[in-house]
Amino acid sequence: MTGTTAQKAPEARSPAREAWRMYRRNLPAVAGAIILLAIIGATLYGTFFYGGDPFEIVWAPHEAPGATPEFPLGTDYLGRDIVAGLLTGGGPTLAVGAAAALITMIIGVSLGALAGYYGGWLDNLLMRFTEFFQVLPALLFAMVLITLFSPSLWTIAIAIGVVSWPQTARLTRAEFLKIKELEYVTAARAIGAKNGRIIWKVILPNAAPPLIVSATLTIGVAILFEAGLSFLGLGDPNQMSWGLMIGANREYILDAWWPVTFPGLAIFLTVFAVSLVGDGLNDAFNPKLRER
Amino acid sequence: MTALLEIEDLRVTFNTRHGQVTALDSVSLHVNEGETLGVVGESGCGKSITALSVMGLIPSPPGRIAGGEIRLDGENLVGASDKRLRRLRGAEAAMIFQEPMTSLNPVFTVGEQIAEAIMLHQKVSHDRAFRDAIELLDRVGIPSPESRARDYPHQLSGGMRQRVMIAMAVSCRPRVLIADEPTTALDVTVQAQIFDLLNEIQRDFGAAIVLITHDMGAISEMADRVAVMYAGRVIEEASADNVLDHPLHPYARGLIDCIPALGREETDLKEIPGVVPPLHLLGEGCAFADRCAHCEPRCLREKPRLVTHGNHPAAHPAACHGVEEGRI
Amino acid sequence: MSPLLDVRDLTVRFPMPKPSLFAPRPHLEAVRQISFTLEPGRALGIVGESGSGKTTAAMATIRLTEASGGEVHFDGVDLLKLSPEKMRMRRRDIQLIFQDPYSSLNPRTRVNDIVREPMDLMEVGTPAERRERVVEYFRLVGLRPDQLDLFPHQFSGGQRQRISIARALTTDPKLLVCDEPVSALDVAIQAQILNLLARLKDELGLSYLFISHDLGVVRHVCDDVAVMYLGKIVEHAPRAALFDAPQHPYTQALISAAPSLARRKSKGYVRPLKVSGDPPSPINPPPGCAFAERCPRAQPLCREVQPELEPVGGSLAACHFPGPDEALRDAS
Repeated sequence: MTGTTAQKAPEARSPAREAWRMYRRNLPAVAGAIILLAIIGATLYGTFFYGGDPFEIVWAPHEAPGATPEFPLGTDYLGRDIVAGLLTGGGPTLAVGAAAALITMIIGVSLGALAGYYGGWLDNLLMRFTEFFQVLPALLFAMVLITLFSPSLWTIAIAIGVVSWPQTARLTRAEFLKIKELEYVTAARAIGAKNGRIIWKVILPNAAPPLIVSATLTIGVAILFEAGLSFLGLGDPNQMSWGLMIGANREYILDAWWPVTFPGLAIFLTVFAVSLVGDGLNDAFNPKLRER
Repeated sequence: MTALLEIEDLRVTFNTRHGQVTALDSVSLHVNEGETLGVVGESGCGKSITALSVMGLIPSPPGRIAGGEIRLDGENLVGASDKRLRRLRGAEAAMIFQEPMTSLNPVFTVGEQIAEAIMLHQKVSHDRAFRDAIELLDRVGIPSPESRARDYPHQLSGGMRQRVMIAMAVSCRPRVLIADEPTTALDVTVQAQIFDLLNEIQRDFGAAIVLITHDMGAISEMADRVAVMYAGRVIEEASADNVLDHPLHPYARGLIDCIPALGREETDLKEIPGVVPPLHLLGEGCAFADRCAHCEPRCLREKPRLVTHGNHPAAHPAACHGVEEGRI
Repeated sequence: MSPLLDVRDLTVRFPMPKPSLFAPRPHLEAVRQISFTLEPGRALGIVGESGSGKTTAAMATIRLTEASGGEVHFDGVDLLKLSPEKMRMRRRDIQLIFQDPYSSLNPRTRVNDIVREPMDLMEVGTPAERRERVVEYFRLVGLRPDQLDLFPHQFSGGQRQRISIARALTTDPKLLVCDEPVSALDVAIQAQILNLLARLKDELGLSYLFISHDLGVVRHVCDDVAVMYLGKIVEHAPRAALFDAPQHPYTQALISAAPSLARRKSKGYVRPLKVSGDPPSPINPPPGCAFAERCPRAQPLCREVQPELEPVGGSLAACHFPGPDEALRDAS
């Protein structure tokens, strides 16, 4: 290093930048990111170019895709436009996914960090608590919560968050257990850093890579979860979402395949893109792959 | 005495993300029967790559033997078939690794593993091989070998595991034993035991030992001859006394002067500034030039060759322009 | 002169998992009632093999590992009795250098922040002064200030150890605990760091508690040496006395085992003093001398009665039959 850096000031390469450099070279991951951005863009801005109320009955029911140029993907059992439904319904779907992942991370990381860092009786208590949530059947428990608090985007997000945080908590705890034994954590204690600082400023940033990967994948799981709940009729009936579209049209699937298939494809594509991004992040954060 | 193992002009290249780098460059070494050759240098000097080349264990790709010959008892191993190499490995040449824990299989008893090694090369029954294994464990100084043979690797201490590795390595009476930093993971009193054991084994079996180490102290105690390596080249080679008492190459001198060894009073240790350069940054000249106090323009232009300069009684091969010109 | 550090009867035990539900809980006796003092401006080396408890002893001394008993008087104050907050503020005077330069620096922090952090935490000077001091200490340990914005992974092992040293020095500590500071480094780099540590000790008047398994390294840096074996100090002496006339058979074995340039195979060197076997387990250590099983001088008494540190020759040695070793003396 001395020989190479003697002439000019060396360039700082942060771990995050190194990860980004790795990510850029990973074709599937970049493709996933592009697909995901396209989907987010379409759901955010699509309605500017393609107007229309997704709840409004605009045409005859079960118009096949391509039959009428005005409604390229056809209409559903009530004669509502499917493209309008896809564009408007994507936003809530993605929002619920993201919000649920956020709630999962907040609960899971906090509890996992405390359990992993302090250990002892606190760890025992928190882990028993976690196990309690883990053994509850997730879908049933979420359904109970939603029924209790009436379905809305928020209650759905919270319900998904509440049933999926235990895994994050376990992952965070495992990372903390590993990292707190490293010398730089002892070094932080030796220079007089307080526990709070060590947890949030020293250990958490170093535990972040697997947590970010897990958060990304949680978004995908939450989207599927939301679709499942809507399919069972537990979605927010006043908010168009992909899950709601599938749920509403499921009885007529033998008469018309398209009102169920297109939102299903949208969900598949989104979750697929999210997992590509998650895998890409996983590889990008892995220092063993970096030197290749 | 004939050279049992001869390495001539060995060149090994690796494909890395920095392109192709030369890990070993015209390395020539030999070791005679019953002799110990010490190969010394810092990490990244090519010591271990040399050992792996002899064993035919260079990971390929990315590694490749790009030229030269490795002759074991006159037979060239470069380009030999995998089958032939497998037969030689263990039977003619065996290797002891740095970390005995990871070189032993954790799910088999150590006795089984030694017996397995014996049966690979000799047509003997399992019972016979297991009895031989117990005998070998006894030979390498493991107390109550009968019961130890039925232990799993994790039940043994680090020193015991290294003894097991040595037992396995000598199970087929190899003629060349390559020990790659065999004691780095061990405590000093245990290191002393292992060194003593290697010496005993050499006396009894007449094996040639190649001892790879970064420790000049270990060289002094163990080696008959020494090769000093730097950045993939041998830069000095002679008898241990010649190298230790009259080192020529500035790097060899640095390695000797920088250790805070017992039996020497010194207030300030000599330093070698800087670090070993990464292989992809090696230039035209001497690889040691940017750490060398005697660097001249010629050193940056031209790679020095490993030849004997002058006719002093202690003169021996050294790859240094300064030595050649008589300024060092 | 009153000692900077006066450790008395320091004990560290770790509870182990019970072998069965009703069995008594076994304890790992890492450090067994050790006492030592360190005068200001001096360096005390603690030497021992793995499992001897040398690192645990040092960590318990500066309260990074919880001690089970004993007293640690630092500058006249018993550190073990301080409240956590008072202890935290005391850390300004006590700093630490680690063995592994690859894991002792937070990989996600720029080295500038790493070196400045102790001053931030201890509220040393103004922010501008801290920034200046970082540059000053970066230079002092032989690094270039234009590297301050880099991350730890961009440095070599030796350079990282220099960063670690700079971090430890910025709060003007009185005591520097060095835990195997060079054992993870290449030999040529070791010399650089050892020379730096020796220079800093003189220039800044530091005191070192220096942990190492390498007698050569300790001999180079330390004024006094304590040899530990299975949680106890078995010999404690000034450097010259310990290396020239070791009294305890374990010290003699260590010296005999350490590689030396003076011992040549070509001159027919055969190790004069051999010890066999491994140290006993620190879980339920033997009642007598822990070295008895491996000791060439062991008598029945050694296995029953624990020897205490007592003056003999120029040393303090914990041995029933201390004295120079004939074979070792003849060989050297």
